[in-house]
Amino acid sequence: MSTHAASATAVLPAAAPAASNANKALGIGLVGIALTGLGLLVPGNASAVAVAWLVGIVFWTSIAIGMLMLIMIHHLTDAGWSVALRRQFEHGLSGFKWLLILFLPLLLASWFGAGDIVWPWGNVNHVLHAGETVGQDPLYQHKSPVLNIHTFSVISVLLFAFWIWISARLRKASFAQDIDGEIKWTQMNYVTSASGIALTALTLTAAAFCWIMSLEYHWASTIYGMWFFSDCIRGALSVGVLVQLWLYARGDFKGILNTKHLHSTGMWVHAFTAFWAYVAVSQYILIWTSNIPEETFWYNIRELNHDGSINQWWYVGLALVYCHFLVPFLLLLSYKNKIVPRRIAPMAFWIFSTVLLDLVYNIVPVLKDAHGNAQPFVSFTLVWITTSVMGVGGVVAWSYLKSFGATKLIPIRDPRIVECLTHHE
Amino acid sequence: MDAQPYGLIATFDTAAGVYHAAKNVRDAGYKHWDCITPFPVHGLDCAMGVKRSLVPAFALAGGVGGFVAAMGLAFFTGAIDYKLIVGGKPFFSPIPVLPVAVELGILCASVGAVVGMCVLCGFPKLYHPVLKSDRIVSALDDKFLIVIEARDPKFNLANTRALLEKIGGLDVKELEA
Repeated sequence: MSTHAASATAVLPAAAPAASNANKALGIGLVGIALTGLGLLVPGNASAVAVAWLVGIVFWTSIAIGMLMLIMIHHLTDAGWSVALRRQFEHGLSGFKWLLILFLPLLLASWFGAGDIVWPWGNVNHVLHAGETVGQDPLYQHKSPVLNIHTFSVISVLLFAFWIWISARLRKASFAQDIDGEIKWTQMNYVTSASGIALTALTLTAAAFCWIMSLEYHWASTIYGMWFFSDCIRGALSVGVLVQLWLYARGDFKGILNTKHLHSTGMWVHAFTAFWAYVAVSQYILIWTSNIPEETFWYNIRELNHDGSINQWWYVGLALVYCHFLVPFLLLLSYKNKIVPRRIAPMAFWIFSTVLLDLVYNIVPVLKDAHGNAQPFVSFTLVWITTSVMGVGGVVAWSYLKSFGATKLIPIRDPRIVECLTHHE
Repeated sequence: MDAQPYGLIATFDTAAGVYHAAKNVRDAGYKHWDCITPFPVHGLDCAMGVKRSLVPAFALAGGVGGFVAAMGLAFFTGAIDYKLIVGGKPFFSPIPVLPVAVELGILCASVGAVVGMCVLCGFPKLYHPVLKSDRIVSALDDKFLIVIEARDPKFNLANTRALLEKIGGLDVKELEA
């Protein structure tokens, strides 16, 4: 690793062909999808597989949304240091169209299969704990203008359509500038980002509300979008760190990546570790303090069974406090831990994994046993979650690698590329 | 001038000149010396061999101290010194204290950072021998200075002067203490 700007090379390498890696990733993705599909053959397992598939989709979508937000923050702050990293995020955005296609089975299953296969409100005859059905529930009736499969499908498709559209704009401007070096592309990105960042904030909040929060539609938390945003950014940043180190190890980023880049990305990872904790604790503390059953039940599901005994989700919740916040927060205080690849790489992977754990904690307890308790964390569902994450991840990685091979490694004609290559404290 | 001088001062015309000179002074093994530049020169800290600042340690100590102090106060007053049942809640729980403890931690961390910076820089410092030199004015504008202090164990009036002249220092002069 070069230690300072003086060692940044003036030679601008072209992206190495990545076709073989792309095909491998697609292979892994298809195997994952096929294995998840096998889960449907187990009788009575459809809901578990569908919820696991939702985890896989939401996990990779959150990473893509995080990349989208980071790109727009980069443009709006006119950042110089992150130009090289931004290109990798732009490749990551290519996954949105595939994520939409992979999301469609959930909608199709809700339309043509059991309406409540994932979201309980999808079937008005779904029986709630008290014995009444969703259709008889006044709270559902109040929320039914949004929580019906028609509106829900339109919203979901529109969300993806927006992300695909804005990604296409950002990617087009960036890639076109590689060729002609016109400043108008940078200006176009300012405009796209200035309006896009607010719209993306709204759309990611809508996604968190519709896809995740509505799983327990009796419950509402206004900070939920912020919570989802923090996981989006943390996922994207950890992938960003790993991609940078992977490209450095492969040789592509030799002479481009220096210690200060890793320090800067490390500080982002650290800051959003604190941000996640701030938001997650805010949500918890408000509900804990006011202590009203309409809100506490959401956490109670994740702590206790109806007979008062502690269930496995209690430990998952504690694991999130320590593994998703405290341990990475304390470790990332250190400068060395941010810049030594062998230290930051496992930490980035750790956060990548705990983002998934956080989503599992928020999504999977929707699966209930016969007594209305959340199904245990350690169950066969974990297998389907693993295959789903593998399946969706493989497809997204394939899309990333295809895009990676089609353009320059870094935005060579970006007005701030020199600032990036000579980034220094 | 009877007394031992404060050190030797040399002028450089360009940022690149002072950058390469700094590397040479560093490699010659000097410890008590400094560069004075009109603007931040990127990479100069590395060329000088300056270690990372200790300010984060002060900030960490302040942050941990503030957090522990708030938690400790709530625990001592609530659970030990003056037990009071309020709304059937536990005498002490870390959850409601958390915002206060985090805020106090942040406050003390930032105070720690400022205090640490002042301590490490030796503030308040009302006088520095370099201010006596008329060259300090041009070093605020377009010149670059290197000052090697006499208290450095490697300091030797003749040898140090030779070193500064060899690495391109102009107008090497003794600096009055």
